[in-house]
Amino acid sequence: MVHALSEIRRVLVEGGLMIDLRPILDHWPIEVASARGTRQTGRFQDLPLGTADDQVANRSMAQAEQDGWFIREQEHFFLFSYSWDTPSEMEEWIKTEWEDFLELDQETKKATRSAWSVADADSRIRIQMKMVITRWKKLP
Amino acid sequence: MTIQKDSERNETKYLRKFADFAGRRVLEIGCGEGRLTWQYAKQARSVAAIDLDADGLRVATIDRPSDLQDRVYFSRAESEHLPFAKETFDIALLAWSF
Repeated sequence: MVHALSEIRRVLVEGGLMIDLRPILDHWPIEVASARGTRQTGRFQDLPLGTADDQVANRSMAQAEQDGWFIREQEHFFLFSYSWDTPSEMEEWIKTEWEDFLELDQETKKATRSAWSVADADSRIRIQMKMVITRWKKLP
Repeated sequence: MTIQKDSERNETKYLRKFADFAGRRVLEIGCGEGRLTWQYAKQARSVAAIDLDADGLRVATIDRPSDLQDRVYFSRAESEHLPFAKETFDIALLAWSF
């Protein structure tokens, strides 16, 4: 990743900006949400591969700052939601897209299915991902 | 499967708050199917969007609006070996890529 940052620095003009936008694992909550209200049914377990990825990214950015390649100008955390019509759709998505870096225990799956089965007709299964956006400025 | 992403549009809100794309030459790394690209491309002077996923790039190219055909380019490339000359871009956007 340090090599990628070196390449990005090379192709940016002096004073150019690098915007780093990415999810951060943080035991994202799972909710059953409808127009009438929201009920949290559990949280994800972060797997070692996922947290290791976050740590590598954070370390690389810190190194780039320490080496005088970029200066951190602004940073903010916000939520990014994913939602599905049914618990099965969410479980399928996790299995195909996210299984390497997070997982859902049986108890949370059961609680989510149960809450969804008695929820309002417009209910959806929602995950609130934690995101970070950072603006870096290239230094001479 | 019907999946909704960022229905509150927080991502777009913060992206625009953190960078003014108007008239800028933008490099997007990890563009995938172009979901994020379309949030700022109309303001940018030009966009070079790269990814390693050929299927995603195919979708992005198909979805590219006709008025952006000559300003937004998708290509398969690695961030460790960027196929661009030095000092080509004003903004580099790492789109969920690190």
